[in-house]
Amino acid sequence: MTPWVEFVVAALIVIGTVFALVGSIGLVKLPDVMTRLHSPTKATTLGVGALLVASIISFYHWKGKLAINELLITLFLFLTAPVAAQFLARAYLHLHCDSAGDLPATNRPCQWSTFQCACPPDAEDGSAAKP
Amino acid sequence: MRLMLIIAIPFFGALLPMLLARAGRRACAIATGLSTLMALVLLLSHAPVISAGQAFAVSHQWVPQVGMDLALRLDGLGLLMAGLILGIGLLIVIYAYHYLGKDESLGAFFTYLLLFQGSMVGIALADNLLSLLVFWEGTSLASFLLIGFWRHLTEGRQGARMALIVTGGGGLALIAGMLLLGDIAGTMTISELTARREAIQQSSRYPLALLLIAVGCFTKSAQFPFHFWLPQAMAAPTPVSAYLHSATMVKAGVFLLARLWPVLSGTEWWFYTIASMGAVTFLLGSVVALFKDDLKALLAYSTISHLGLMTMLLGLGTEAGLIATLLHLLNHAAFKGALFLTVGIIDHETGSRDLRNLGGLWRILPITGAIALLGLAANAGLPPLGGFLSKEMMLEAVSQVSWWGQPHLLTAIAAIAGTFAVAYSARFFAGAFLGEPGADLETAHGPSWGLVGPAALLVVSALAFGVFAQPLAEPILQTAVRGAMGNGDAPTIHLKLWHGVNLPLILSGVAILGGGILAGTFDGWRSLLKRRLAIEGQRVFRACEWQLVSVSRHVTERFHGGSLANYLTWFLVGVLALGGLSVWPSGLRSGDRQLLPINVLALLLITCLAAACLMTILLHRRRLLSVLMANVVGLITSIGFIYFSAPDLALTQISVEVVTLILILLALYFLPKETVAEASPIQRWRDAALAGLCGAAMFALTWVVLSSDGPTDLANYLIEQSKPAGGGSNVVNVILVDFRGFDTFNEIMVLAISALIIYALLDGAMHGAAADKLDHWEHDIPRSPEKHPAMFISFTRALLPLALLVGVYMFLRGHNQPGGGFVAGLVVTIALIVQYMVSGYQWAAERISIDYHSWIGWGILLAAGTGVASMILGYPFLTNAHEHFDLPYLGSLDISSALVFDLGVLMTVVGAVMLALANLSRLGRRAERAAQKAAEAAKLLDRGE
Repeated sequence: MTPWVEFVVAALIVIGTVFALVGSIGLVKLPDVMTRLHSPTKATTLGVGALLVASIISFYHWKGKLAINELLITLFLFLTAPVAAQFLARAYLHLHCDSAGDLPATNRPCQWSTFQCACPPDAEDGSAAKP
Repeated sequence: MRLMLIIAIPFFGALLPMLLARAGRRACAIATGLSTLMALVLLLSHAPVISAGQAFAVSHQWVPQVGMDLALRLDGLGLLMAGLILGIGLLIVIYAYHYLGKDESLGAFFTYLLLFQGSMVGIALADNLLSLLVFWEGTSLASFLLIGFWRHLTEGRQGARMALIVTGGGGLALIAGMLLLGDIAGTMTISELTARREAIQQSSRYPLALLLIAVGCFTKSAQFPFHFWLPQAMAAPTPVSAYLHSATMVKAGVFLLARLWPVLSGTEWWFYTIASMGAVTFLLGSVVALFKDDLKALLAYSTISHLGLMTMLLGLGTEAGLIATLLHLLNHAAFKGALFLTVGIIDHETGSRDLRNLGGLWRILPITGAIALLGLAANAGLPPLGGFLSKEMMLEAVSQVSWWGQPHLLTAIAAIAGTFAVAYSARFFAGAFLGEPGADLETAHGPSWGLVGPAALLVVSALAFGVFAQPLAEPILQTAVRGAMGNGDAPTIHLKLWHGVNLPLILSGVAILGGGILAGTFDGWRSLLKRRLAIEGQRVFRACEWQLVSVSRHVTERFHGGSLANYLTWFLVGVLALGGLSVWPSGLRSGDRQLLPINVLALLLITCLAAACLMTILLHRRRLLSVLMANVVGLITSIGFIYFSAPDLALTQISVEVVTLILILLALYFLPKETVAEASPIQRWRDAALAGLCGAAMFALTWVVLSSDGPTDLANYLIEQSKPAGGGSNVVNVILVDFRGFDTFNEIMVLAISALIIYALLDGAMHGAAADKLDHWEHDIPRSPEKHPAMFISFTRALLPLALLVGVYMFLRGHNQPGGGFVAGLVVTIALIVQYMVSGYQWAAERISIDYHSWIGWGILLAAGTGVASMILGYPFLTNAHEHFDLPYLGSLDISSALVFDLGVLMTVVGAVMLALANLSRLGRRAERAAQKAAEAAKLLDRGE
């Protein structure tokens, strides 16, 4: 491998691992669930993406094959990480429904759809029960 | 070849009724009848040659190492028996079509019937002792299915179980006896046994073999003391009773004794064992039959008695006895079958079989009455019916033999039994047909011709065998005797109705007189004997059964008791003890390989693994977290696999982790999420010590294995031969589908069976106590108001085609690169499961129209088909071929026929996992519905107040 390619790959690996490390530190250190959500979804995704680009470049140089399919991993990660984060956020909110009282009122029968805590009995989804 | 067809046609025909069940009852019956008819015609086409004295034989090798060949031989005796089976079978098919109601599953009934028929014809034609045993057990199984056909009736289930246990137990004894006999004789072929008769009878093991074979035959033919299962088996539908328990299956024991008669008979052992039991049964059966009120029970004991008669005659060891047995075999099948069919008609038309409530049926069922009259007359041995002839022969044969030095003892027993036979026959007829109409006759109506026809045909043949004995019965009997004697020079038989006034005639006259008097005065002296309790074999059996069950329950509760921890403790203690015992003498020696320096990465990995395992244990009471920790352990294991360059294994591990997690979480939904501390500190220390010991033992074992140089030849062979012989460069996949394809085939069968068991167990959770709990189940975790989150749905829909594409890609490239059927199946399963999770079960099930049961079935069939296809081409099972293709745009392809096998694996995996999921979610929906109803009820209550 020429030194230039080595340098690029090494830089990408370092960037990737730094971001992964930052993401992991954030997971440990941040105080609240809602703030903790940001680290694995954003920082770690970026870190994994950088590692994958490094892998593509190094294998191209090493074996001559351009493995674009590795970018699919990043694509799938972009698809699934937000959904997972949304679920985590929802679960947290549903477990702490009492903070719904601080929210401003809306002029809809169901106040805030995430909570539906104060939903009248004849709403369209009849399974509204206090969590 | 045609002999093979005679047996094969009923077995292949057994596939038809179930398939044709949707086309209607008539199609089922026609298919069954046609199969039987074809087999019968084929059989009878051999008749001219056989009656001239020849025999047909054909033989194929089956398991040569134990001497088992599929050897068939058709001689006179086999012709008689098989003719009875197929001929009466045809009549029973017609009868059953008219007898069974519209809502009974006729397809299943005819399938069991044809299976039984095939096995029974196999017994009749078998020439090899071991293949006869296979057919013998086949009849036991088929009769279990047939007796328990009305499985909603307790008597039906119990009768079937008792029949299976008794005849199965007898079958075990028979296996031992046959193996002994084959060992003594040095050959397993029945036709060769006759030549070695002297050697067999001189051998010291002859009595043991004889006793074991006798036990097997006695259980099958309901001889004392094994007779008690036959009356219980009367809980079966009447066509079954007529076919199995009068005409064919119970005759199998007698038939086998007749088959082995030239080999084993003539000794004192034979005489005292077989003739004694036969005589006792003969007497016992006819005496007890007189006291029965249920018509079918009466006929059952009458059958027991007649079978005892035949056994006794065979036991005499004389030629006269053999001839009388075969004649009675023929006659008894005719009249007893007819009698059972008439009882069926009575039951069908009046709804009752109780003699105390019936009476005066002569007016409503005149034809049936005439049939019953003739049949009962044959039963009692009245001239000019066939039954009279065989009884005369029997008395003649018996009077020539002396027992324990008493020349007239057997004759006396036969005479008394004959008296009782007349008595119960008269009682049957008088009680059912004559006299005042009984209590159960309000709903009586005339029967259809389909019920009366077969009975009439049978009883007419019983009459014909008597009146036209010389043209009809004599040639059949002659052929049969010639076949049974084994060497062709049999005495010529003359059947005559009138032999002059001799002892048998006098005895018959006395019997008729005495029986008439007994029947007439029966009601009088019966009440005197009301309180006489006989030891009923059935009660002894039940007591033994109950004892066995309670002992085994006790043992199970001690070692298992429903607690997995208890069971596991005993298991581990046992393993440790056995392992320690085996290692104790020499100890474990560490191997010679050099130790490598510790890799920091590996150390880190192992530390994480150990930490995760510890967390699983420490958090075990918080189940959700514990399950997640277990998954972490699995993921670290996959990293370990990648570290050792095993991408296939890593892929499989990850996908299995995902699927298992989803299924466990589905199950955990209904279980408590947190448990209380159950074990005391002592128990916990004990468990910790045991676990520590096991861990140390595993460590020692692993150390020894890893540090020794193991055999590497196999590994090298597989790696070298993977591409040239297996057609793929992915050694793991080639091992799975090619080198060890049979193991994989068994594995997917196990997977399919476990999926079906899950289905059955969860189906059971919809009834009974579990269903009650479900209906009262309350949610114990907070639930999201948004059931189907929109973001998740849209992403999952977009992912579905991509995921399926990845699955297909992994499947196709599996042979040369990491992938394969199993991983692809799991990927497809996950893709589908997520659709169910996201949009709800009902929505997804309406759109994913895959029948998981049939996918499981087709998967296994495909895998088996690949194997069989190679067998058809002349190679061993599951041999694969591979070919190299150069396609214009796709490039070069290496395709192996293992691809079809892999497809079978994929389909089975998908079907099995999705089946488990589908049924788990059924529980959820039921609980959901119950919870909704409860919530609505609560709301109504609130509003009402």
